[in-house]
Amino acid sequence: METTQQQTNNSALGSETTKNAGTTNTRETKQASGKQLVAIIFILAMATKMFLLPIFLIQSTGRDGYIILAVYGAFDLVTLIPMIITIKKCDVDFFELLSSVLGKVGAKIVVAIIGLFLFFKLNTAVAEILNFYGTNVLADFDTSLMIIVLLVFLAAAGTHTLRSLSRLNEIIMPIIVVCLAVLVAIVVLTGFDLGNILPAVADKKSFIYALIKHPAWVGDFTPLVLFIGRTKTKKFTWCFAAGSGVIGTGIAVFFAIALSAAFGNVPMLIDSTTNLSNILQFSVGNVYGRLDMFSSVVWSVSVFIEAALFFYATCRCVSFVIGKNAHLIISLCTCVATYVVQVFALTDPMIFSLAVTSDACAVITPVMAAGIPVLALVCALIYNKKQKNNTLAAGRKSA
Amino acid sequence: MTTRKKLLIYKVLLFLFAFFIAFMPSTALRNKEVNSRVIVGILGLDGGEKVSLTAQYVMPTEAQGSTGKDTVTVEGDTLDEAAEALNTALGRRVELGHCSMVIVGKDAKPELLGSLMTATDVTADVWMAAADGKAEDLIADLTEFMSKTGATDADFIAYSARKAHIATNTLLGFLSDLGSASKTAYMPLVEMQSGKASESGDSGSGGGSGGGEGGDSGSSGGESGSGGEGEQKTGMKVEKLALYDESGRVGVLDSTSARGVAWVSAPVEKGTVCSDVEFNGKTIKGVCGRLLKKHSSVKVDQKMGIATIKIKAFIEPHGDKFNSLFATNSSKANEALIAGYKKKIQGEVESAFSNSLASNSDPLFIGREFYRHCPDYYKSQYDYNNIKIKYEIEISLK
Repeated sequence: METTQQQTNNSALGSETTKNAGTTNTRETKQASGKQLVAIIFILAMATKMFLLPIFLIQSTGRDGYIILAVYGAFDLVTLIPMIITIKKCDVDFFELLSSVLGKVGAKIVVAIIGLFLFFKLNTAVAEILNFYGTNVLADFDTSLMIIVLLVFLAAAGTHTLRSLSRLNEIIMPIIVVCLAVLVAIVVLTGFDLGNILPAVADKKSFIYALIKHPAWVGDFTPLVLFIGRTKTKKFTWCFAAGSGVIGTGIAVFFAIALSAAFGNVPMLIDSTTNLSNILQFSVGNVYGRLDMFSSVVWSVSVFIEAALFFYATCRCVSFVIGKNAHLIISLCTCVATYVVQVFALTDPMIFSLAVTSDACAVITPVMAAGIPVLALVCALIYNKKQKNNTLAAGRKSA
Repeated sequence: MTTRKKLLIYKVLLFLFAFFIAFMPSTALRNKEVNSRVIVGILGLDGGEKVSLTAQYVMPTEAQGSTGKDTVTVEGDTLDEAAEALNTALGRRVELGHCSMVIVGKDAKPELLGSLMTATDVTADVWMAAADGKAEDLIADLTEFMSKTGATDADFIAYSARKAHIATNTLLGFLSDLGSASKTAYMPLVEMQSGKASESGDSGSGGGSGGGEGGDSGSSGGESGSGGEGEQKTGMKVEKLALYDESGRVGVLDSTSARGVAWVSAPVEKGTVCSDVEFNGKTIKGVCGRLLKKHSSVKVDQKMGIATIKIKAFIEPHGDKFNSLFATNSSKANEALIAGYKKKIQGEVESAFSNSLASNSDPLFIGREFYRHCPDYYKSQYDYNNIKIKYEIEISLK
């Protein structure tokens, strides 16, 4: 029964119906379980915040980098609250919700803007992956070729369902958690000079500058709009969802503290090419062999999941705006656009760093990061009120 | 298509993908790639007009298990150029990521170490050691010694870091200390001990050869250079500490002061503590104990301009002298032992402070603590030469 329900509309042109355009690629309404939502929130909370962001922040403001990361983490956790409430309160999916409240045209305009934002976030995550693997793990590999492998994965994610993506994350999640635990244990057991993060905010000017310049990394919970009206939840799912967000953010802040303590006195020695070894430099005397290296590479898989989620959400937004369910074609077009942006515009890490620290990014990203969940919540409240009024009216009519 | 069939297809595709990855050209040719590289175990850095890099390397050859350990020295105007010259000197790609120790010569500037970390593959956790003279000479001696004993790259320094009471440092640790408010960093000074060669000439198995001057005060033996006729390297001595500021090496602490630095600034928790003990009006010389654990911290008081060095050491006394003491009157003996150890540790730390003050360096990182906890005081009033030091040493006998 379930399998017939889950028939996917994966054909390139076969099922171009405008009716379900933008929906999460299946006729089944509840695609993700509460557990899967919790796992996704955990990954979104820490993945990209543990990659290049601590390095950029330490370069900008030295030992105070972890404080700014904690501020961004806290900001994201605040935006998670309206998102979780919306997922809890709303029974229809995000696109349907917007259409019923804002009207079709209004919804399409809003979704187009959200899609652009998600595409930006996708490119931030992809650029980080390429930087990490292109300069650390596979230093001799040509980035313009390496990205193709990543895009194949993203295209596959784009043509599948939210259920598939959530399941993939659910399967990988325990491995990521174990690897993170190994890394945390290595850092704690070998010890680091925690006192090196003091004094806090000694240079207020550089602290404020870094705080204003790096909000491109907030808004990691925005792809959760896809889970609105599509998640089977239980009584305490909301507590676990919020808890996993807090734990994920906590882990990101912990590693940022370790890095800030290690490089606080020498911020100019840290750069994106030493990202991997920066975290590992606590393995004094190689006591743990390359276990730390293995763990580092495996946890970095979480960024692939985050990128896949942004990619998937971008594709669904495009699908809704153009009013077609041609997921394969949309995925391929998004892949081409990502390739063009990454290979022709963001090839140089310096260009990437300039782009993400631009004034436009500093303003737009936090506005979108806060605006999307708030918009979803407001629309859900209006929609619910409308539904209530309609039922009352229908009740009166029948009476 | 049923779900089961789909799953089967996925599994087959996954297997094929894994198979492809395992046997793709770069993986299949990895063996050749290893043979095309040179693995550097120890890197020496000398300054002066030109930057000089000495590499102790292992060159894998086609024949299984045959590797040769040798050294090469190159020069360049900058560190990057010298690193590049290493490749051409050996005709293979030099792998610096496996380097386990960097030896710094007397004239090398610390800024070269920053370049070494950022511009080459040398990792942040590589051990640091200082040479009394040129790093090139020390590496030559080390290579000779290692070829006899079979010791691997940085065995001795790794041992010092974990089991002996020596303050060791890593590359990142060194640079971080130097960048701190104390503007001082340290690294252990490595010297070679020389002894007379055996009659047979080819020292054969080498292990232990016993020729040295014995005891713990073995001198480095006159000409520490390339080892004259009839003289061979019998071991290494890691007792002293080289101190650096931003300009370069500013002094060398003797073994007593070096132990003082290890008590306060290094995370070492092992080693031996020997002290003279006053008991029943007599002085019992050299009552030894094993250090089991140690906690140390520096507390600062900006109002009084006082830094308090707190050390808590857990020591397990042992040996015949301790046994005879213990047999007489255990509680009084314990008190006497504690007093003896306290005096010894305080003496070492005091020696470290006074000797480093002479070279205007701060290996106990007192300035750093003032900066961390009272940054305004540090900027406006702090003067290292006028700081008063208090000692709070607690001994726990096990």
